[in-house]
Amino acid sequence: MQTYSLLDWEGAVKFGLQNESFNGDSVEQAIADVEKGIAIADILWAFPITIVAFIGLLNRKFIGFIAAMMVFAICVYFPLFYAFRVSMNFDIVLAALCMWAIPSLLGIIGLWMNRKLFNIN
Amino acid sequence: MIETTIITWIIAIFGAITFLPLFSAQLVMILKPGSQKAKDLIIGKGENWRDKTHFKSALAFAWADIIIILPLYILGTVCVFNGQPWGYIIWISLGVLSIYFSILFWVLEKEYTYKSVGWIAYFTYFWGFFLYWGLGAIAHSILQLNN
Repeated sequence: MQTYSLLDWEGAVKFGLQNESFNGDSVEQAIADVEKGIAIADILWAFPITIVAFIGLLNRKFIGFIAAMMVFAICVYFPLFYAFRVSMNFDIVLAALCMWAIPSLLGIIGLWMNRKLFNIN
Repeated sequence: MIETTIITWIIAIFGAITFLPLFSAQLVMILKPGSQKAKDLIIGKGENWRDKTHFKSALAFAWADIIIILPLYILGTVCVFNGQPWGYIIWISLGVLSIYFSILFWVLEKEYTYKSVGWIAYFTYFWGFFLYWGLGAIAHSILQLNN
């Protein structure tokens, strides 16, 4: 979704993958700017870590544990950041908390309880 | 128990140098959001908010930093110096967020803050330190947990 958005932002807006267009008013353009920054950070940083986490966890490698913790940290933080953005729609905040923050928090707890599988004491 | 090393101390002190000015600036942003001082500290001397959205995003980052990042930084550092593995997990989480924001702000703010503060300030305390701390904290924590 983020890769497609970066390749064709306005196309992604048409498909509903992004909400804010660079062709809208100044407020919409400013939010689109923030969303584009998030998309770039997702592709350059969060996406590669997610790949490492998947492969590492499947192979029960230490680095998979660490990478998964990293991904969970991002997924817990960002819904909370959206919650602090007062202009954000409450439904979107609630959905982000339920879809990302809470499962990721459970993921952190679950991973930690099973840390011995990854040779961590 | 994980024994601390000289590198642990360096990262903790570097973290304090990096984060404490940020937390101070964010506190000003929360307490006096409309003030010139808040603008000077957050986006650079003499700069102005581009629009309401820019201002609201900066305010959201300020709240998130004070409510989430500050307690995590304190908790992580205390746990690290108590030899708790959890402390390193928290440092890794902060490190990953620090790098994430470095990328985000590189895209969002560079054209404004770089011009305003100059390259030395930009690549040190204004932006660079967060990237360097994140990389250092992650690398050191992985090595400590893997020993």
